[in-house]
Amino acid sequence: MTAALAVAGATVRRMLRDRTALFFAFLLPVAVIVIIGATVTGFGQFRVGVVQTGGGPLARELVTELHGSSALRVHDYTDEAQARASLRRSELDAVVLVPPGLDSALRGGRNVSVPILVEGNGTAGPAAAAAVSTTVAEQGARIQAARFALSEQGGGFDQRLALARSQQAGAAPITVQQVVVGGGSQFLPAGFSYSTPTMLVLFVFLNALAGGASIVSTRGLGVYARVMATPAGARAVVLGETLAYLALALLQSLVIVLVGAVAFGVHWGDPVAAFALVAVWALVGTGAGVLSGTLFRTPEQASAIGPAVGITLGMLGGCMWPLAIVPAWLRTVGHATPQSWAVDAWTELLSRHGDLLSIARQLAVLAAVAVGLLALATVRLRRRVNG
Amino acid sequence: MHPALVIAGKDLRQRLRDRSALVLGFVAPLLIAGLMALAFSKVTTYHATVGYLDLDHGPAAAGLERTLHSPDLAGVLAVHDYRDRAAADAAIGHHTVQAVIVVPAGFTAAVTGGGAPRPVQVRADVDNALAGQVATAVSQSFVAQVNADRLAVRTALAAGAPPADLARLTASAVEQRLPETPVQQSAADHKLKVISYVAPAMGIFFVMFAVGYTSRGYFVEQAHGTLDRIQAAPVGRTVAVVGKSLATFVYSGASLATMVLGSTLLFGADWGNPAAVALLCLGISVSVVCLTALTIALARTERQAEGLAAVVVFALVLAGGNFVFVSQEPPLLRRLALFTPNGWALRGFTDLGTGARGIGVVGAPLLGIAVFSLVVVALTALVVRSRRQP
Repeated sequence: MTAALAVAGATVRRMLRDRTALFFAFLLPVAVIVIIGATVTGFGQFRVGVVQTGGGPLARELVTELHGSSALRVHDYTDEAQARASLRRSELDAVVLVPPGLDSALRGGRNVSVPILVEGNGTAGPAAAAAVSTTVAEQGARIQAARFALSEQGGGFDQRLALARSQQAGAAPITVQQVVVGGGSQFLPAGFSYSTPTMLVLFVFLNALAGGASIVSTRGLGVYARVMATPAGARAVVLGETLAYLALALLQSLVIVLVGAVAFGVHWGDPVAAFALVAVWALVGTGAGVLSGTLFRTPEQASAIGPAVGITLGMLGGCMWPLAIVPAWLRTVGHATPQSWAVDAWTELLSRHGDLLSIARQLAVLAAVAVGLLALATVRLRRRVNG
Repeated sequence: MHPALVIAGKDLRQRLRDRSALVLGFVAPLLIAGLMALAFSKVTTYHATVGYLDLDHGPAAAGLERTLHSPDLAGVLAVHDYRDRAAADAAIGHHTVQAVIVVPAGFTAAVTGGGAPRPVQVRADVDNALAGQVATAVSQSFVAQVNADRLAVRTALAAGAPPADLARLTASAVEQRLPETPVQQSAADHKLKVISYVAPAMGIFFVMFAVGYTSRGYFVEQAHGTLDRIQAAPVGRTVAVVGKSLATFVYSGASLATMVLGSTLLFGADWGNPAAVALLCLGISVSVVCLTALTIALARTERQAEGLAAVVVFALVLAGGNFVFVSQEPPLLRRLALFTPNGWALRGFTDLGTGARGIGVVGAPLLGIAVFSLVVVALTALVVRSRRQP
């Protein structure tokens, strides 16, 4: 055991002194969490560009009300070409072209069209257009009411418009109420509660895999040969490396969990279940890392091919996007990766308030994967060390 | 043959023998781009299936039903009718529909008689937020006209119309139409295909890894004495750096070209104007060369070079939007992307892939890449000069 701890200690110290390894283990995951979390936040609103050039009080009022709509996130443009470019790049869901003649038309008793540009086969465009229509209709309602009152009772347009505005403010309109039906979600919550657990899954595995490079280096340095000369021999080396990887994986997981909770407001769910999941996933990463250290011949191979494999498995397993959105066959392929079982377990904890029992199946699968990887790694590492 | 070319040739042959360089430069980017395109393949077109439940059975409710079946929404909505709430909720539970619009009993009475307003309810599946939004937006659009008619009557009464005229006023108001008509128009440009974004994104990401490979190789050769022998020859250190830069440039160009051809043939990517695409690929290759030179100038050991390259590359690809759809990012992050050469390149590839015409489209991206590269060159020169002070 002393020899094993010596091996573990040496590996951990070397990794913690390696600034590149620290960057990849701690800083990079947090940066990715921030960017992906920010990107998947705010899907509750449609992104709308509003092009207004000149225009009178009614046009300005319309733009103000578009900004005030809870369904829309509005960006102002003075140049239609720029707004169209943003729409083409999918940076906007729709573009509203406020007609220059809006005020004169409405005050003059004429009707006016308000063009709403959308991508022809876009995902959210038509819905965004409908949401814009609601806001346009609210202004239109006041104009309609003012004209109606004018035709019925006479008076001035501005006078009747002011009356319509006060009536609208005082009335209880017929509303549309949205109700969510059904139980727990198939998805992790949007925003940082999506990016943080998925990046924990991705990076613990990825860093362990890339970290296999250090085993290749260590073999080259002859450290193992000296340990082999001790009575503990191969078993000490295997146990030592495993302990080192497990310690590093747990440390990385702890950092991500704490940053998620403190900085991003992530609720990790049932503490006992969350801890069990973190621990089992750390074991999976450990097995993958030690195994990768026995598969590659040079440190360059491990640190180059490892990330590509890790990223691919992460994508297949739902770390980059929810598996529920992919074609069914790809979802099946995805569940051949350990990552998908870990993400499913986090979904159970964060979206369905699950506990240890509800993720028992996922934990069992992951534990089996961990045992398999560790066993395979142990056999190969022994051969590598003895050879 | 020029000595720089000899060095470049040696470097390229070395890469061809290194399987990890081949994996990172040619296989992995295509594999990952394809995987991403497949994953999002069913997201690019959207069609919601919505239920309709009429508990009112009056003319006002019939108006909403007509709206749901209008031509404007045919491309977005399929509508199923249900007779009771239990059937509607079961349909949501079975994912037969993603949301149900429920018109409450008493809706028509509220509309015509001034009774208490009853809300139209949209019951949506927890995992189909967009379907809920669509159904809500459509319902709100219809309800808006109803509210406008009610407002017209109230305003007329407030203006002095006699209450005894309520029935006539109501009948007249219903004939009114909103004076502002939103008209949905389809933008003429092409929709951005997923593969047309992720192919350049992954191609650029993996090409930037070449920075680490080349800069690490420089120090390995230094340790092995290869550079000493080169410098002892009539050629100098500058030629060695030029040779390595040339090799990096060729490798980057070849990698990106493979991505262009592979993604087009295998996944149907739209790259747009070939000349413009070639210019963007050249621009990225130049920025990779400049970053390589900076890394070599800053680092002192193989390990430092590799680490520094990794940090710089990941920082740039995160900021530049290679890992997510930059168009979905908040505006602040989108602006951050334009401080990176890969962010500008992705802007150019996106514009080309969505049908923007002419080679001038890549003018701004090329300028952005050029500015970045010049800044890196200036930084490199500063570092080299400061190192020369003995």
